[in-house]
Amino acid sequence: MIKKTFRVEDMHCTNCAMKLESIEDSLEGVKEVNASYHRLEMIVVFDETQVNEDQIIAAAKKKGYQAVLV
Amino acid sequence: MSKKQKPSVDSVSIVMLGVVLVAIAFMLIIFQPNMQAFTLNTDSSAMSQLLVAFITGVTTGGLSCLAVQGGLLASSLAHQIEQDYVEHTVQSKKEKVKTNLRTNSALPIFLFLVAKLITYTLLGALLGWLGSYLTLSPMTRAFLLIAIGIFMIGNAMRMFNVHPIFRYFSIEPPKFITRYIRRTAKGTDTVTPLFLGALTVFIPCGITQAMMATALGTGSVVMGAALMFAFTLGTSPVFFLVAYLTTELGARLEKFFMRFVAVLVLIFGFVTLDGGLNLIGSPLSFQNLTRNLFLSTNESASAVESSESFVSQGELVLNVENSGYFPGTLKAPAGKELKLNLITNETYSCARDFVIPALDFYELLPDTGTVQVNIPAQKAGSTLFFTCSMGMYTGQIVFE
Repeated sequence: MIKKTFRVEDMHCTNCAMKLESIEDSLEGVKEVNASYHRLEMIVVFDETQVNEDQIIAAAKKKGYQAVLV
Repeated sequence: MSKKQKPSVDSVSIVMLGVVLVAIAFMLIIFQPNMQAFTLNTDSSAMSQLLVAFITGVTTGGLSCLAVQGGLLASSLAHQIEQDYVEHTVQSKKEKVKTNLRTNSALPIFLFLVAKLITYTLLGALLGWLGSYLTLSPMTRAFLLIAIGIFMIGNAMRMFNVHPIFRYFSIEPPKFITRYIRRTAKGTDTVTPLFLGALTVFIPCGITQAMMATALGTGSVVMGAALMFAFTLGTSPVFFLVAYLTTELGARLEKFFMRFVAVLVLIFGFVTLDGGLNLIGSPLSFQNLTRNLFLSTNESASAVESSESFVSQGELVLNVENSGYFPGTLKAPAGKELKLNLITNETYSCARDFVIPALDFYELLPDTGTVQVNIPAQKAGSTLFFTCSMGMYTGQIVFE
């Protein structure tokens, strides 16, 4: 398991953070997503053998957000 | 790829919630502070307080709550609608789907609001019970109003995206709560919106928090419950309408509507802040600053006239009416002790809750009658501000 931080500039409410956190329910290999509207970032804990950063960025894009690996 | 969804509402949580509510009910019965706390004061004052709570809910509460909880609800319901849409697309033709979707979106919102109403009523009962042990002083209430006002203004600034610092004016609920709400929101059964509505009790908005403080101040279980019921009932139509529109008409309208909400939250933020400033007797409140600017010469003269005859006997008269204090400005001689006669005549509004912050005077006046207040000698050129306990109605005594 590894932990990576992604910058998400286009969050505009706490509900956006909640939407991003739902990635942990939909993307296999993602163990935990902690998104913060205050800090405009999400910290993702994932299994690198099952999923990679690009897939996480794509999942965020599907939710309507532009995530950039920090 | 998708993970297997958790069951929408786990039964253990429902049982635990039930146990907590039953425990609260037992506590209320066993640890009764006094029996008065369980009686509803059915006089006109109580009824007008409930009416004010309802109107506050309709006018400001619904929008303010939406700023905090609206996105959450809309998103949860949108997900539900989305799921319905996918299911129906597979089974039906497009025209039929649209009709079905409309029917489906109204029911969960309705259930959500019913649950919210019940939970907040129970919360009101609990606060009223707690309030029978402690009373909020006007000064505490003033600081509460100022804090809520600043919070609302900050929130409006955040919605307008004025500066990143305003992001901190939004409350981020603890992760375990958002995670739980999110997973619960995914169900499509009728229990889910009910449960979700009940959970909003953990993320109250600024106005709701102010109403909770008022419920605390009632010192009565029944009155506290009735107050929160009236308020939450008032918020429901706006909540329903916006939630329905956002799920039905999409993100574009939601964005437009949120801007509209931001403007209103900003206005109400200033009104709340102003109430708090009135309550601490600040000359910087909007009402106190503008009173002298807009007071015409005629009004000023009549203010003097109305009180002149009484001043000679060292007495001032102030009529406390449902719509405020008359005259709004009293003139009095400096360096002399005075008696202020507060006259009520079938007055049921919050103007009865009379406060002179500088003298630390606070009294709930009878709906009809006269109450005398001793005013110590004041310096020439000084002003004593008075207000109702909500900071809504104000006035001043100018010493010359």
